[in-house]
Amino acid sequence: MEELRIYMKLIRISMRSRLQYRADFITGIISVLVLNAVNLGLIGILVHRFSQLHGWTIWDLVFLYSMFVLSHSLYSLLFWHFNMMDTYIAQGTFDQFLIRPISPLIQFLGREIQYIGIGDILVGVAAFSLAYSNKGLHWQAWQWLFFTVAILSGTMIEMSIRWMIASTAFWLGRSLSLANIMNRFNLLVQQYPIDIFGTWFQVVVTVIPISFLNYYPSLVLLGKANDGTWLRFLPPMVAIVSISAATLVWRAGIRRYASSGS
Amino acid sequence: MRIFWSFARQAFQNTAIYRFDYWLQLVSVFLMMYSVHWIWTSLYSQHPAAFGVNVAQMVTYGILGMALEAIFNPGQGPQTYIATQLKSGGIDTDLAKPLDFHLHMLARNVGEILFRFGTLVLPSALIGGAFLGLQLPASPVAAGLFAVSLLLGYLALFALNFLLGMVAVITLDIRSISWAYSSLVRFFSGQMVPLWLFPGFLGALANVLPFRSIYAIPISIYIGKLNGSAALEALIFQSVWVVALFIVGRLAWSGVHTRLVVQGG
Repeated sequence: MEELRIYMKLIRISMRSRLQYRADFITGIISVLVLNAVNLGLIGILVHRFSQLHGWTIWDLVFLYSMFVLSHSLYSLLFWHFNMMDTYIAQGTFDQFLIRPISPLIQFLGREIQYIGIGDILVGVAAFSLAYSNKGLHWQAWQWLFFTVAILSGTMIEMSIRWMIASTAFWLGRSLSLANIMNRFNLLVQQYPIDIFGTWFQVVVTVIPISFLNYYPSLVLLGKANDGTWLRFLPPMVAIVSISAATLVWRAGIRRYASSGS
Repeated sequence: MRIFWSFARQAFQNTAIYRFDYWLQLVSVFLMMYSVHWIWTSLYSQHPAAFGVNVAQMVTYGILGMALEAIFNPGQGPQTYIATQLKSGGIDTDLAKPLDFHLHMLARNVGEILFRFGTLVLPSALIGGAFLGLQLPASPVAAGLFAVSLLLGYLALFALNFLLGMVAVITLDIRSISWAYSSLVRFFSGQMVPLWLFPGFLGALANVLPFRSIYAIPISIYIGKLNGSAALEALIFQSVWVVALFIVGRLAWSGVHTRLVVQGG
């Protein structure tokens, strides 16, 4: 709890310094809106041509997209700073987090929250509402519960993956390319139902569990149960496993960083 | 030419330090080529008639779009260098160099691009050809026109990126603007979805904007969708835009240059 208090305090400090760049905030939000409009536009063009992709109609796809964006928005708001970690390590500025008697993770994440996540939240909510009403969905309480749990699990899953990728910088010096590969996977999983791709791809995005952000929970929520895979009920379990794995990698990384004396 | 070469060598040295990183990039391209291969074959099996080209051409288009990413990535270019230099204050050493700034940026970027072409585009094209159904150019003529068009496409992208770099001088931070910029460029250049599939208004818009110089025209020539006089017209379209964008770039630079000097770098 003490750590949470410190985290909040750090965030307040970083917010105060960021607030000086009001224009950056606005262009950031606009950029996110443009980015998502473009992504949805591409899907729109394909569906316009083909009426559906592999049995997924336009609103199914918007739903799939919105689930991803909603999970991702919380991640990008709170944990985006992981993407900056290799810069800290390369420049040797990461040491500052190790010399203070507070968890380095808290100090590191407290450095910055990414306002732009707010743009993602707007897009996610708008896309979700459109899909929900156009599909004529009427959810029961358990579906709303599952939806909420799936979104939060998705946030934790993406956070863990990014955390692990960032931690590889302790060994490799930089993690940018790995992060870029991840962006690629993200975009594909976000836009397309993974059953459109070959088996290999499906295995990869299930083992690196990004498809648990949207694809598997969507199978439950859109009632696409015909292929009956039990994986679709697993997002919370996958989240727990991912966080544990990421914590281990991070600890090993810190140990290595500290002992190499760099 | 010597300047280009020295920058290419520098790019090589920068990359050689992170060899693992290089392999990851290659993996990343392979991954993307693999997935577009699937997207197009799977869509094609649904509606063969909706494409206007055959499945081999469509797959070649998609794979080439991914293989060229290494040199046509709108997120990497002079604008990232300019933004970094502005932040660190290193821009004054660039201004002090006895070298025209515009040319300096071009030389630096060409060096890097040549290097990326040799180490990333060619290997990924070979892999695409061996495993994923990337075909050879439609004809020898198409191959020649493709090479010219690729060069023009590169120059157009460079000029656009340079303009974004000029924006950086004014706003000092282009991190978020570049996201919107990259995604618009990718969209209107037809990297993922070819422009001839765009409906009505969007298609017309994409046809007049300069962005189709980047992926759409070279690749359409490669697969033979654009040939004969249509291909020549497309090359003229590219050339006109390249010239126009370079002129705008120079004007913007001379405007911004005074501003930089006033700011004190």
